[in-house]
Amino acid sequence: MIGSIPLSDVLLASAALFAIGLTGALLRRNAIAIFLSIELMMNAANLALIGYGAALGTPEGQIAVFFVIAIAAAEASVGLAIFVALFRHTETIDVNKVNLLKW
Amino acid sequence: MDRLIFDVAAVVAVLFAALMVLNRNPVRSVLALVVSFFFLAIGYVLLWAPFIAAIQVIVYAGAILVLFLFVLMLLNVPLEDVAGTEPRPIQQILGGAAILLFTIGLVELLSGYGAKNVTQAGAMDFARGRIGPLARLIYSEYLLPFEALSVLLLAALVGAFVLVEREKRP
Repeated sequence: MIGSIPLSDVLLASAALFAIGLTGALLRRNAIAIFLSIELMMNAANLALIGYGAALGTPEGQIAVFFVIAIAAAEASVGLAIFVALFRHTETIDVNKVNLLKW
Repeated sequence: MDRLIFDVAAVVAVLFAALMVLNRNPVRSVLALVVSFFFLAIGYVLLWAPFIAAIQVIVYAGAILVLFLFVLMLLNVPLEDVAGTEPRPIQQILGGAAILLFTIGLVELLSGYGAKNVTQAGAMDFARGRIGPLARLIYSEYLLPFEALSVLLLAALVGAFVLVEREKRP
């Protein structure tokens, strides 16, 4: 009944997901794709939190993940609204073409 | 057995995450991420977090990513054009630093934590998948952050409306 998942497996998966998300955030130029990569990085952190929570036997990890998911929902709604407003202004969401605030 | 299922789910999640990054079509990117999050939810169940697995599927895959899809279809974003996009020096430096950091972290992980098993805490109530203790904790010790969260969600809702509202011509 009680299985045996080594914590290293969980952390390895989490690290791989985070690295993929970081790569995506650096490589992609579509603003929504960058945003998706950031969501992926948050999920990698969630996985690490749950892994540690299970390994240490405390529910705090799951509570932190609960809050992270709720904040991710708020962040996604505001971020996507910004992209919609941006698209109305500039007709693009390519981050290389949106350089008004760039020095 | 648990370990096998977890590893398979994690590998599939990582593969679909890579697919998300590599795909130039943003709609396909979102759908790949949905699949990745589903397999992550399977991993959460095996790590004794069924509640988190449920909200992962309902809130993340079901609500947040569908919001992404809605916005993508609203904007009708073209494909990213790949032609003539040499990586700039800053991009190369950042990419190299990211890969370096990841390699260092990987070595640290594999050398340090290999022996520890996730299942050592079988005695805890929550560890058997009950969400009662979790709910009790959220509504007692973490009540203030929980309520602040509801205010934050309301603020985000109002903020999103204000941002996308068209300017009224006088």
